[in-house]
Amino acid sequence: MHHAHIDKFAYQDSPVHRLDSRVKFIVVLVFTAMVVSLPRTSVSILACYAVGPFALLVWAKIPLRFAFKQILLVSPFVLVLALSCPLYDRTPATVAFGPFSWRLTLGWMRCFTILGKFTVTMSALIALVSTTRFNDLLAGLQRLGLPKVLVIQLGFLYRYIFVLIDRAHHILQARQGRKLRSLGFKAELRIAAAMLGSLFVRSIDTAEHINIAMQARAFDGKWRTLSRLQIRAADYIFALAAALFMAGLYLLVKPVLQ
Amino acid sequence: MAKAIEIENFSYAYPDGTVALDKINLSLEHGRKLALIGPNGAGKSTLLLAMAGFVKGTGRVVVDGLEINRKNLKKIRARLCSCLENPDDQLFMPTLFDDIAFGPLNMGLTPEEVKARVGDALQTVGLTEMVDKAPHHLSAGQKRAAAIATVLSMAPKIITLDEPDGSLDPRNRNNLLKLLASLPQTLIIATCNMNFAAALADRAVLVDKGRIIADGDAKEIMSDSKLMTEHGLEVPGTIR
Repeated sequence: MHHAHIDKFAYQDSPVHRLDSRVKFIVVLVFTAMVVSLPRTSVSILACYAVGPFALLVWAKIPLRFAFKQILLVSPFVLVLALSCPLYDRTPATVAFGPFSWRLTLGWMRCFTILGKFTVTMSALIALVSTTRFNDLLAGLQRLGLPKVLVIQLGFLYRYIFVLIDRAHHILQARQGRKLRSLGFKAELRIAAAMLGSLFVRSIDTAEHINIAMQARAFDGKWRTLSRLQIRAADYIFALAAALFMAGLYLLVKPVLQ
Repeated sequence: MAKAIEIENFSYAYPDGTVALDKINLSLEHGRKLALIGPNGAGKSTLLLAMAGFVKGTGRVVVDGLEINRKNLKKIRARLCSCLENPDDQLFMPTLFDDIAFGPLNMGLTPEEVKARVGDALQTVGLTEMVDKAPHHLSAGQKRAAAIATVLSMAPKIITLDEPDGSLDPRNRNNLLKLLASLPQTLIIATCNMNFAAALADRAVLVDKGRIIADGDAKEIMSDSKLMTEHGLEVPGTIR
């Protein structure tokens, strides 16, 4: 079985894919901080911010439909938060974008800002994850100072989440194959608990086998990896272009901040 | 020259008291291809684990002249490498490169040596193009080959393989046979597949209920239909 949704496009080849993971990560981090720190009244400026991540997605040949689908997938929580804003803040306000202006309430403005910030930051994150292999991202994070133990944990999580999903799927299939009628809530709950228990025991079993596999290859408790990351001229050019773009955005938003 | 494996009176029981291995005596020269055959639950996998020092019982296990004990374990792991039954247990790193480099890095090789070892191992198993792939992107046959590459990169003298042909289709099984037959190392293969064992091994050891029942020429043992049937096995089609 293949589970490719998380890193579906990360193995493609494009100039963005070839950029160093550390450079991409830092750019996305700084960009996200800039978006998050935008005042709630600068909703219209968000449109300019969106240019960056979407340009990256297009340049990397990541289908925008995929990006929007991913954004929608994680949007329910933010949607509830954003749509509750107009209910408790009805102060009148005006939004202007060039020659156009709209009258609405501060609650709606906050709602649009939350949704806009969410969309822009998520698209930046999707651009990062879709153009960077997870292991390169981990190697980059390690080089940037993330504790090694956390990098190892994330590496194992990424490696075995697919195995776990497969196993859970097989257990559910086995259950479905023998489920001829509903047994009632209590009995179903008991069966679900047994299935979870089986998954847990098998996970422990796998962990023991991995431990053997590691020791069999001379593992002595010290984690050693070989980093193949290398910053090239293209990375410097990208970092410079991103810095100029973000400086431009800052100049755009500066009057609002004052 | 020291023997690849020497086991004297080795016994092991599970914590619940069930005897897994009972007075095992086995001696194997370097360069041989040994098939450990036997029904499910016979003790084949436990015997492989004992050879790598993962199971501590009574008796003596010597690997390439080094007796298994705490002091020798690191040296032994560089000489005898185990390939587990499930490739998903063997391939635990995010990419194939990291997985194959794991052993050589732990052996203290330089980055250049590690890269060369990874390249050679991948070339041997025919997965050079897959170097940056994540294991979950590989097929069952590729995973099996990759698992073997993880031990080849350590350049061990002895390789143990637990059910290496499990869940492989005939084409992948034949590819694996060719690969294993081409390896110069001493191979110890635990398998229930008699055709696979007959095609590869020059010596067979039949294990059942934790004891060695027969030990000798692979074809001779596997063609004894009475012996094979008594222990839940079958005469391979290639010998019949």
